[in-house]
Amino acid sequence: MAQALLNVRIERKHFDAVTVLRNIDLHLDPQEIVSLLGPSGCGKSTLLRIAAGLERDFSGAVSRSEQGADVAFVFQEPRLMPWLTVAQNIGFSAGADYDAPWVRQLITEVGLDGFADALPKQLSGGMAQRVALARGLYSRPQVLLLDEPFSAVDAFTRMKLQDLLLQLAQHHGIALLLVTHDVDEALYLSDRVLVMGSQQPSSIRLGLDVPLGRPRDRRDAELGRLKGEALTELQLAHVI
Amino acid sequence: MASTPYRTRRLARFFSAAGLVLGASIAALGGAHIAQAADALPKELRLDYAYYSPTSLVLKHFGWLEQSVGEGSKVTWTLSQGSNRALEYLNSGSIDFGSTAGLAAVLSRANGSPIKTVYIASRPEWTALVVAKDSPIKTVADLKGHKIAATKGTDPYLFTLRSLEQAGLSKNDVELVHLQHADGRTALEKGDVDAWAGLDPLLAASQLQAGSRILYHNVNFNSYGVINVTETFAKQYPQAIDKVITAYEKARKWAQENPEELAQILSKESGLPLDVAKLQLQRTDFSNSQPGAEHIAALKAAAPILLTEELVRKGVDVNAVVDQLIEPSFSKQAVAAK
Amino acid sequence: MTSKSKTLPLSTERSWKPAFDSAAWKRRAKGLVLPVVALLALEFVVRIGWVPPYQLPAPSDIALTLRDLAGGQLWNHIGASLLRVLSGFAIGAGLALLAAAWVGLSREAEAYLEPTFAGLRAIPSLAWVPLLLLWLGIDETSKVVLIAIGAFFPVYLNGVAAIRNIDRKLVEVGQMYGFSATQLARRILLPAALPGLFTGLRSGMSLAWMFLVAAELIAATKGLGYLLTDGRETSRPDIVLAAIIVLAVLGKVCDGVLAKLEQHFLAWRDAFTGNSAGPTEN
Repeated sequence: MAQALLNVRIERKHFDAVTVLRNIDLHLDPQEIVSLLGPSGCGKSTLLRIAAGLERDFSGAVSRSEQGADVAFVFQEPRLMPWLTVAQNIGFSAGADYDAPWVRQLITEVGLDGFADALPKQLSGGMAQRVALARGLYSRPQVLLLDEPFSAVDAFTRMKLQDLLLQLAQHHGIALLLVTHDVDEALYLSDRVLVMGSQQPSSIRLGLDVPLGRPRDRRDAELGRLKGEALTELQLAHVI
Repeated sequence: MASTPYRTRRLARFFSAAGLVLGASIAALGGAHIAQAADALPKELRLDYAYYSPTSLVLKHFGWLEQSVGEGSKVTWTLSQGSNRALEYLNSGSIDFGSTAGLAAVLSRANGSPIKTVYIASRPEWTALVVAKDSPIKTVADLKGHKIAATKGTDPYLFTLRSLEQAGLSKNDVELVHLQHADGRTALEKGDVDAWAGLDPLLAASQLQAGSRILYHNVNFNSYGVINVTETFAKQYPQAIDKVITAYEKARKWAQENPEELAQILSKESGLPLDVAKLQLQRTDFSNSQPGAEHIAALKAAAPILLTEELVRKGVDVNAVVDQLIEPSFSKQAVAAK
Repeated sequence: MTSKSKTLPLSTERSWKPAFDSAAWKRRAKGLVLPVVALLALEFVVRIGWVPPYQLPAPSDIALTLRDLAGGQLWNHIGASLLRVLSGFAIGAGLALLAAAWVGLSREAEAYLEPTFAGLRAIPSLAWVPLLLLWLGIDETSKVVLIAIGAFFPVYLNGVAAIRNIDRKLVEVGQMYGFSATQLARRILLPAALPGLFTGLRSGMSLAWMFLVAAELIAATKGLGYLLTDGRETSRPDIVLAAIIVLAVLGKVCDGVLAKLEQHFLAWRDAFTGNSAGPTEN
């Protein structure tokens, strides 16, 4: 049994007097895609940040498997450095001497050929988010953490970017832990969907398995049925 | 994009309107200068007083001018810290009578200021080049490459230039630091400059209080204390000039007859000790107050320095300037009338 | 599966057009209208005698004076003033950048230093003069220090504001990569603060010129401020105006240099330029 790539156990996380997370226990296996689904304010972004190591003030533990799984983070906004070109942004972690051929390859993979020297002000929202994805992939991580990565773009771009994400994950053998409030997105992308409620302190109310193969068809009836289950649970949790 | 005829017309109209407004406002400003009918006395008679002009202090102290004009005019007094300031006030229309050095008035007139010298307040030896007590500098020629504090546009400054010329130096051979008289004295005593072109009473004070040593003095390089008015004022208010000169004559006579009290007044006004006042008055001569041949000759002899040191524009006829500056008529009239 | 956007929303390149750019020149011409009209009006007014020339010389006279000066000592004066202004600016702006970085990045430093700086900032320029003359004498030191003080505060203020205004989200990216404090400062904070810093530098430069004139009005032996007093003390208003014109030109040139640098280093800015179309000036 392969050891989990990433283990997140949170006993308690609070901001001042308010406890937002309690008794979280989740794991991520290699090449697995897991979504955290829940409404705004339920703490899922906090949970992701803890998993990324951006939040350290909590009681619990985050552990990685012995390979020391590299973790990369993709934010909700592209957060590109406006003074750097697309290529420089992708290679940002390495600084001035980034791996140019690798960056070029990533640019092609995310579908931005020819834009290597463009500045962020010249990009649309969707294009910028592609750069952010490429940046996340630069360090060849084993785990990619994404915080509502496509919530800022329109529905059609979102679908294209979701397909791109799946392609990248498969091509590079990356595990994904994804935060989203979009039920369809969660089901389309993930192997497992973890539903979180809106009552504080939050915990994971339900784990839905999505045993469908890839590539998935958005029109698949099974996805529809699973969506029903998820919606029921969200209703029970008084989220909707 | 080609400008249509409509746009051009609009533009032309805008500019004509703007031009009219601009012209009208300038006319209004200029009109303010043009005098009304010549009255006997102006509503306000604005004089200056200075510590280098002891009779001005006497006049201010006793109020003889105020008595003379009575209700006809209000007399105001402004302190001039040097010829440069007095000329500035005179040229800007802030005072009507300015007390300056003769050569400073020539300089101003040569540069276009329409002023007239109507009275000689005194013949002082009020300036000299001084160095600090223990200075190694012994002659004027030693000043080459050194710092001299001198107030531009005043007699000490012109004295310095003439002394340098005599020693074969020009103003580019030294560093002339422009400081008003009081600051120049401080700079000398603090050691920030190597020499100072002093002016009484501060010169006397520096000698007596700080032990400063006179490096060079020359009574002929001093150019009289004079009183100036603008040409416009002279045309408009000759009677006022008459009254002021008469009052000054009274002060002058009094000064000659009461040297002790004069020293007291000078000391009190300038805030300097009595012995300083006395030293200044020792080298001041009140005997000849009428602008005449003597003064014209002395100023003409001094004037070339203005050209050689490029203080006036090239090609200015400084002799003609002196002739235009000196106006003996008012003084003659006032003295004859007595 | 993946898609490409077909065209860029904005043009990538802003190529330099070597050909005559009539739109740009038309714009510059508009800027010249006001000064030219004013000069012509003044010339007219003085020549017909409405304003006496000993109070306001005609522009043509001032031009002649400038020509005379240019053949003589003017270049020495310009050199002296430039040297003072540039050294004072360099010192003041340099110190201000360091202080701004320190205060901007450290809450502790801000708590200790900011109130003192706020108090010092309130002191008007001319109030420093007698103090500096007393402590540092009438030489170059007091002048350069005065100018440095003038340049310091705008650069400091804008620097601190620029650092405080940096988008926290960008800093987080660096934190995510595990950047050290120095790395964060060098790779994210400095470039992100650059727009604000440039504003501060241009402001500091213009104040440096202002303080230069204040310094040279008192106890100078050369420089443009000295030339100004020369004109004043010898009843030469044409020299006064000539000195002012030279000061204005030099000040504008210095600002222009900074503006060009700003344009070069901040080409990446996604900024509002006032007009959507047309080439951006300056």
